[in-house]
Amino acid sequence: MKKILTIILIFCFAIAKAQTSLPEISLKNLSGKEVSLTSLSEDKTVVVSLWATWCVPCIRELDTIAEVYEEMQEEINFELVAISVDDSRSTRRVKPAVMGKGWEYTVLLDPNNDVRRHLGNPNVPLTLIIKNGEIVYRHSSFTPGAEDELFEKFKEIAG
Amino acid sequence: MKKFLIALVALTTMQITIAQNNRGTFSGGFESNSQWYQDDDGLGTFAPQDQLRSNNYFTLRYSYDKFTAGIQYELFAPNPLLGYFEGFEGNGIGTYYLNFKHKGLDITGGHFYDQFGSGLVYRSWEDRQLGIDNSIRGVRVKYDFTNFLNATAFTGNQRVGFEVSEGTVTGINTELDLSTALDLETGIQIGASYVNRFQSSTSPDLNFPADVGAYSARADLTFNKFFLGAEYVYKEQDAFVLDGFVSNNNYQDGRALLLNTGYATKGLGINATFRAVENMGFYSDREASGNAFLTNTINYVPGYTKQQDYAVSNIYVYAPQPFVSPGEGKAGEIGGQIDVYYTAKKGSTLGGKYGTKFEFNYANWSGLDATFDVANNTYQASLLSRNEKYFEEASIAVKKRFSRNFSTIFTAVHTEYNTTIIEGSGDFLRGDAFIVDALYKLDGGQSIRMDLQHLSADADRGNWAAATAEYAFSPYLSMYVTDLYNYDETDIHYYSLGGSYTKGRTRVAMNYGRQRGGLVCVGGVCRFVPENTGLTLNISTNF
Repeated sequence: MKKILTIILIFCFAIAKAQTSLPEISLKNLSGKEVSLTSLSEDKTVVVSLWATWCVPCIRELDTIAEVYEEMQEEINFELVAISVDDSRSTRRVKPAVMGKGWEYTVLLDPNNDVRRHLGNPNVPLTLIIKNGEIVYRHSSFTPGAEDELFEKFKEIAG
Repeated sequence: MKKFLIALVALTTMQITIAQNNRGTFSGGFESNSQWYQDDDGLGTFAPQDQLRSNNYFTLRYSYDKFTAGIQYELFAPNPLLGYFEGFEGNGIGTYYLNFKHKGLDITGGHFYDQFGSGLVYRSWEDRQLGIDNSIRGVRVKYDFTNFLNATAFTGNQRVGFEVSEGTVTGINTELDLSTALDLETGIQIGASYVNRFQSSTSPDLNFPADVGAYSARADLTFNKFFLGAEYVYKEQDAFVLDGFVSNNNYQDGRALLLNTGYATKGLGINATFRAVENMGFYSDREASGNAFLTNTINYVPGYTKQQDYAVSNIYVYAPQPFVSPGEGKAGEIGGQIDVYYTAKKGSTLGGKYGTKFEFNYANWSGLDATFDVANNTYQASLLSRNEKYFEEASIAVKKRFSRNFSTIFTAVHTEYNTTIIEGSGDFLRGDAFIVDALYKLDGGQSIRMDLQHLSADADRGNWAAATAEYAFSPYLSMYVTDLYNYDETDIHYYSLGGSYTKGRTRVAMNYGRQRGGLVCVGGVCRFVPENTGLTLNISTNF
């Protein structure tokens, strides 16, 4: 038990000091074209949301934001990139789901979960705010109302 | 353990120093899933010998310039949670790797995860909920020759608990993007792979297959709104294995065909998948064929059905049947599914003020039509044939918002389930489930969610009812109480209550209750979990 505590302590210390960014890899978009992750937030702030077609709170979050997406784009330059962590079983569902729901987000596919693993294998939904390549805000899970908090944070960070 | 700690401290300190000087970054995570098992007279279950069990994962990743190094330390103390592979007992370094990436070159030494095509020939992945980590420990090289042509080659042994497989897995893969190469409007990607398993012969027969190769060829086409994909896989003859006993003179090959097509336009998306598989078990250790913990699996043959969202629609879930078992009359499966996503526009009759979303899924799976020689454990089958029904399901979900604060989801599911094929014995079951889920948003990030669920089934334990109430105090803190009640046969309540707190990179969840025994399926792959009762604590953090 003592050992575990020590490890936890080390990790807590590490967390305090850590700063991360997205990995330098490329993911395919829904047209099969490669998009480099580092190019996503060049000189700007974007929200990156990790989601999956089988994840109910993820769909709730993205549906909720979709309802006000245009407004928020105009008001605060809000931009969201939805990275699907669906594996090869369900990755084919992503395009019909996104189109069928009428989402306007940039959607990228991470079927091998490279991005997710890079971020420490978090549960989805995971919502990140990225400014000039650095992850500056991180929130997992979604309950209604969390979108308002996200818009607030975005405004604050994007400045 | 002590050495490891010292190394960890040194490593962490070093990394922090470096990170502060902007000469590298590091990230990582910690996840702990613990359960304190209780005796439960109501269920008739007893706590296992080690009542308190805990699965813990520590990951550290450090990248500097073109290099990335990672390590995952795992601690299963004193034993893994119930239903997990016993090979995880104890603690140790689960995975480690060093990666070099420069321009188009990507080299990894150590453990790696990857997949070729849809995974039918090769996929290694980690799923902590299922207790699967079949990463390969070896060397992998990936190279982008141009922006439209790349190739991957690897060789290594597969992770099995804290050991590695006896057999060696080697693979090569190449992918060509013709649309980029020829500057076409239509998207055309083609790919081919070869994966080999080598494991020394244990038989006096000189023809005994030590080397087993599997080939995959595939193509994906995307026209404006349509898309179409196909993959064919052939696996060479491998020794027939029954309950871990390897046959010395019975060798069988396997094959699979996967087709996928769809149409997507704003407001409407359709996707249809067809797959036929015959004898597609592919293992890094032949003796592990068909093992319950899914260790040593080289390829990925998931159940293509919809992953249902509620308790009553998750009791009778299809588990894929790609294996040969003449005694049970199994040679493989054939079937498919279709998904339709449709949004009725705002202001239309169906759409109302906010628009209404519809999701429809139909799945149908059957066994191959085969003749079996049970005495010799052989069979004759055609890949494109259909016999006994294994599973059929039709479901619809309607998502409707009534006001700014109030939204609902209505779900209906009809399931037909061949219990004998999927679970080993039992009557063929037909069930109908209805679920209403309502969400009310209050001020200040507070919300209330409730659902009511019912399943009427004509076999097994008959009818079930369930209900959930969930209250979110804020986007960070929520609590729930739920009960799944089999009121027809057993009169058992599977109740559970708990809460979770999430802040930034950290999530803590705690709950107490009963876990219904049966198949737990994640991503179409299923694991059996025994019934149990207890207190669970989940902690996860990432940095």
